[in-house]
Amino acid sequence: MTRSSETDNRRTHRAAFNRRSLLRGLGASIVLPHLESLAADPAAVSVATAATTPSGAPLRMAFVSIPNGVQQKHWFPIGDPGEFQLNSTMKGMEHLKDQFQVIGGLKHENATAGRDGAGDHARSSATFLTGARARKTAGADIFVGASVDQVAAKSVGTATRFPSLELTCDAIRNSGGCDSGYACAYQYNLSWSTPTTPMTPDANPQSVFERLFGAGSPDERTKNYLLRQSSQKSILDFVLEDTKSIQRQLSANDLKKLEEYLVGVRSIERRLSSASQFSTIPNPATDTPDGIPPVFAEHIDIMFDMIALAFQTDSTRIASLILAYDGSNRTFPEIGIAEGHHHLTHNQSVQELADKVARIDQFYMDRFARFLDRLKTMQDADGSSVLHNSMIVYGGAIADGNRHTHDNLPVVLAGQAGGQYRTGRYLKVADQPMSNLFVSMLNHYGCPTKTFGDSDGELAL
Amino acid sequence: MSENPKMRWNLLSLAAIGWIAVCLHSNLSRADEPSLDSEPSLDSLDSKEPDIANILQQHCFDCHGNGAGEGDLKLDELLQQPGSEQTRQTWWKVLSNLRAGTMPPPDSGTKPDHGQINALAEWIKFEALEIDKNHPDPGRVTLRRLNRREYANTIRDLLGIDFNAEIAFPPDDTGFGFDNVGDALSLSPMVIEKFLAAASQIVDEAVPKTHLEIPETRFRAFDIRGEGGRNADNMRLNQPHRVRCTFDVTDPGEYTLEIVLKSGGAFEFSPQRCNLVCRLDDVELFRSEYGWDESKRDRKSFEFDWQPGTYQLEFDVAPIALADGIKDEGFADLDIESVVVRGPADRNFWKHPKGYERVFTRDRAPLDPEGQREYAREIFQRFGERAFRRPIDGSTVDRLVEIAEQFKQQPDTSFEAAIAHAIVPMLASPRFLFRIEEPDPSQADESFPRVDEFALASRLSYFLWSTMPDEQLFDLARSGQLRAQLQPTIARMMADPRATALVRNFVGQWLRTRDVEKTSIDPLAVYGVQTEFEQLLADFRRNRAGRRAPTNSDAPLDPEAEKRRNRFQELRKMQGMWDAEVRTSMRRETEMLFEYIATENRDLAEIIDPGYTFLNERLAAHYGIPGIQGSEMRRVDLPADSVRGGILTQGTMLTVTSNPTRTSPVKRGLYLLENILGTPTPPAPPNVPALEDSASKFQGREPSLKELLASHREASLCSSCHSRMDPLGIALENFDALGVWRDKEKDEPIDASGQLITGESFQDFRELRRIIATDRREDFYRCIAHKMLVYALGRGIEYYDEYTLDVLVERLMGHGGKFEALILGIVESPPFQRQRRAESSREDS
Repeated sequence: MTRSSETDNRRTHRAAFNRRSLLRGLGASIVLPHLESLAADPAAVSVATAATTPSGAPLRMAFVSIPNGVQQKHWFPIGDPGEFQLNSTMKGMEHLKDQFQVIGGLKHENATAGRDGAGDHARSSATFLTGARARKTAGADIFVGASVDQVAAKSVGTATRFPSLELTCDAIRNSGGCDSGYACAYQYNLSWSTPTTPMTPDANPQSVFERLFGAGSPDERTKNYLLRQSSQKSILDFVLEDTKSIQRQLSANDLKKLEEYLVGVRSIERRLSSASQFSTIPNPATDTPDGIPPVFAEHIDIMFDMIALAFQTDSTRIASLILAYDGSNRTFPEIGIAEGHHHLTHNQSVQELADKVARIDQFYMDRFARFLDRLKTMQDADGSSVLHNSMIVYGGAIADGNRHTHDNLPVVLAGQAGGQYRTGRYLKVADQPMSNLFVSMLNHYGCPTKTFGDSDGELAL
Repeated sequence: MSENPKMRWNLLSLAAIGWIAVCLHSNLSRADEPSLDSEPSLDSLDSKEPDIANILQQHCFDCHGNGAGEGDLKLDELLQQPGSEQTRQTWWKVLSNLRAGTMPPPDSGTKPDHGQINALAEWIKFEALEIDKNHPDPGRVTLRRLNRREYANTIRDLLGIDFNAEIAFPPDDTGFGFDNVGDALSLSPMVIEKFLAAASQIVDEAVPKTHLEIPETRFRAFDIRGEGGRNADNMRLNQPHRVRCTFDVTDPGEYTLEIVLKSGGAFEFSPQRCNLVCRLDDVELFRSEYGWDESKRDRKSFEFDWQPGTYQLEFDVAPIALADGIKDEGFADLDIESVVVRGPADRNFWKHPKGYERVFTRDRAPLDPEGQREYAREIFQRFGERAFRRPIDGSTVDRLVEIAEQFKQQPDTSFEAAIAHAIVPMLASPRFLFRIEEPDPSQADESFPRVDEFALASRLSYFLWSTMPDEQLFDLARSGQLRAQLQPTIARMMADPRATALVRNFVGQWLRTRDVEKTSIDPLAVYGVQTEFEQLLADFRRNRAGRRAPTNSDAPLDPEAEKRRNRFQELRKMQGMWDAEVRTSMRRETEMLFEYIATENRDLAEIIDPGYTFLNERLAAHYGIPGIQGSEMRRVDLPADSVRGGILTQGTMLTVTSNPTRTSPVKRGLYLLENILGTPTPPAPPNVPALEDSASKFQGREPSLKELLASHREASLCSSCHSRMDPLGIALENFDALGVWRDKEKDEPIDASGQLITGESFQDFRELRRIIATDRREDFYRCIAHKMLVYALGRGIEYYDEYTLDVLVERLMGHGGKFEALILGIVESPPFQRQRRAESSREDS
């Protein structure tokens, strides 16, 4: 392919490209979303309450998942909520202490074994953002629940060019069955648009970037983006008609699958028909990323950068990112850890191995801190930082990776949601469903919600 | 399946055996009668099936009846319940455990005899599960989307280009262990967007926009060759190189020759430089100097008036000596990225562009609009049938013609470009992306009609080739001859190079050969010398000179330093044990074993205990087998006492189940249970107790694996699974995480003895291997039949498939486990041949 051979060339281009240069000096050159235009556009006014801060700036929501639980005694802050100190895992978050809150005491009952037996990792990742219990199947009738980000994305609708962004830092899949009789879809996806349709995450920063801003060199991007739109338009007319003509001959099950296709096609169509609303396609003054970086930390950073960029340009207001799938047995040669993460978490009675788990927890947290730093330096339309106008959850649905507990989950909630959240605190709640947090977030986001997943109320934030 | 395979199938021997003829003989006469009252109960059993009642009473009710309900199973109550989806699921589990010999438990003191097991199994199948063996339910297959491998292969066969689907699309989710299962192949808006983008991109590259173009011959760096397998890619500037390419000129005229050179190098600057001399038929064409650069390209273009003949381009790279005092550091290189010969310029000699015949059927388009419309219809008719893998209807053709005509109205648009424009939406259509199947029109009213021959052609081609049907399959389907020619067709397909897809995709996922190349294992950590290595490395960094032997012969030899140097070299070598070559060789070892069994139509049980294997020098050295030289993998007969041979001893299986630093007997055991023995896992106990509780007994000391596992098994809740997995994994403890043989672990002799859940005991893995290949051979046949059926059908196995599986196993047992018996058996089976009628789809809740 023309494109893939170009990619290859860039890959062999050993000397020239420095990934670290990406996004350097961003911010200054970017087109910011305008408050005035938001207010003046009647289409935008209708969504003004959803996904909008009290000041009228865009409100962003993001979810970042970590695998395999954490070393709780290093992870959670020390001391009373009143006067707490960050623990060793969060050393790298110290300078951001006033930008986030740590929440203790949340649980995911639907991630426990219940009557479903083994398969805790797959089950946990399926439950993390859905609050629902995954139906145990190796692939026949996958069912869990719509995830919180997708519920929010529906309410934002066409206010942004993309309703949401789903990303992962895990590009490689293992063959064979997944975790103890659970379909792999549960383990490798975080976001679900319906209980049966996972939102496949993208691992390649280049393809994410090109999807957001167009392919090619910086001066060709916008042209290519518009070309793609017009090509999509002409394709859609044909395939919609074509789908109708074959619907008649299919069985109920087949129709369900075709429906997935149709929903996807319609969502692209909707986006295209609202495209005129976005007169300018932002064009970040930065190089297009060069495929997946070989170093894991760089891959994480660049995926975080993609979210930061999408937020800053108001290309989307909702994102989810899988740092590694739950059950990941990744090694960390960069920090001198040769053992697999999952293997280590089940050998924590040996101090040396437990210490390594703590270092991995810290490794992930450091990457997250860098992301928050980026968002903090990005100025938003209302003059505050993008981080100020965000609500970002970082955590997972396993608390203790050794014993596979699902209460007192590790949860960080970063950003002030445009002034709605009090940060810089350690919030300890008494054994509440994690879903209560999601109900609360959805309400703050402007999607009035009474229940979500297994919620039994709303978390007071 | 290999480069030049020969099928040695004795097709006639199997042809005589039809599907139905193989059906099992039922001990129960009732099974053959039409059963009107299909709800079994204990009362009716007592009167009609006293045997069944007795068997259950005698062997099962102690734990699962008369008030006892272990594992939530009360068989007497189950018998009273009317048949429902739920009771059938439960009876299915009973059947699986009975078959696998896991129930009744071997230590329960009760053991039904062979006849009793058979009688009970038959009763469950035909009565409790209500399987109608004359009209078995073919099951539902959810509309299957092409996965990304199938997509790329289909594009290759449809349009003749290599499309890199691994970059273009995210990985597909798998279900039941395979990535071609319809239910698991989801489709999010992002993926659809990528399909739309891919359609445009593919048409751009593959479909010509004109009917004539100036002929072009193109050489890439790899096509410009030198002595000893060298080529024009990455030619180091500090070494001399000579590479050349030759081309033929058939028509006289004006030609252009374009050469693109690229200078590159390591990240840091290198002072190396070279002279490049290019000669055309021994006459110097140009001479240039090149040095280190950041992938800088240099384009040269020449024009010639050439007569017909053979021409040769030769390139000479001569290093330039560095000035005194400049050190030759780092590296710099030069690629001859491409050489393009274009001509002759005279249009009379121009040719159809590459790929023209795949879409266009005539030499050129007519000039009049009516003729063009007619021709466009002809094109879409033919191309549409191939792209959609079944005839395309007239109204769709009309719409495509309309799209092309509309596009053609733009100024300066060729007919070909307009056709190309209309092909883009075809490649994004659900008819291309999904496999839409229709019933045979003559049986459309039956509840389980046969699929039509176009659908059958696709079922075959995606099963054996992971791609669309070829012209011969289409021809057979068009003429309605495919079913009649099934056996020769399968033989032909298995002999085709495309059948390697079955190895890469089926074996790749079943035996996980796909994973071995990306498995991460650290040899230094496996052998516990990581710290030692790091210390030595740090020492040498501090004192660079110590790393190499002193060159000054006057210097006194320091024996300590010498020892450390040697040790360092040793560890370096150890670090290299898990390199790309050994991993690829391991993958090939497993793949070649399967290929050999398939092409020679041998017994599938040779996957377990063949007495031979496939090795090259590198893998043989890894395994400690002497006398194998060279990099080529070949079949090697093993001595009777060899510890190698069979999947249990292959690097693939031993490493993909290991942790990065040590073996995992649990994972190995699970692999064998799931992929070789097919033993069903028991329903896992809810709330598995904390592992910490058992591990903390060792007070901070790292327990041996066997100790740790034994402590798991003490808890009865854990033991239900671990008593099945662990003995199998522990039997393989003589192979370390890298698959290398060892007699001891942490200085303790390895005790590989154990017992299977079914009662057979063994002293070491050799005995285990023999037990699987002989006593449990039927289990293995059932397991591979199960796996391949999932792969062939694209869905999980359901209770109503038990009869199909029985017939497959019977067929394998009756034909010495021959590969052909399995493939033919699957292709001829009702679920492969038939479908549920659209309205009749019974919802599987």
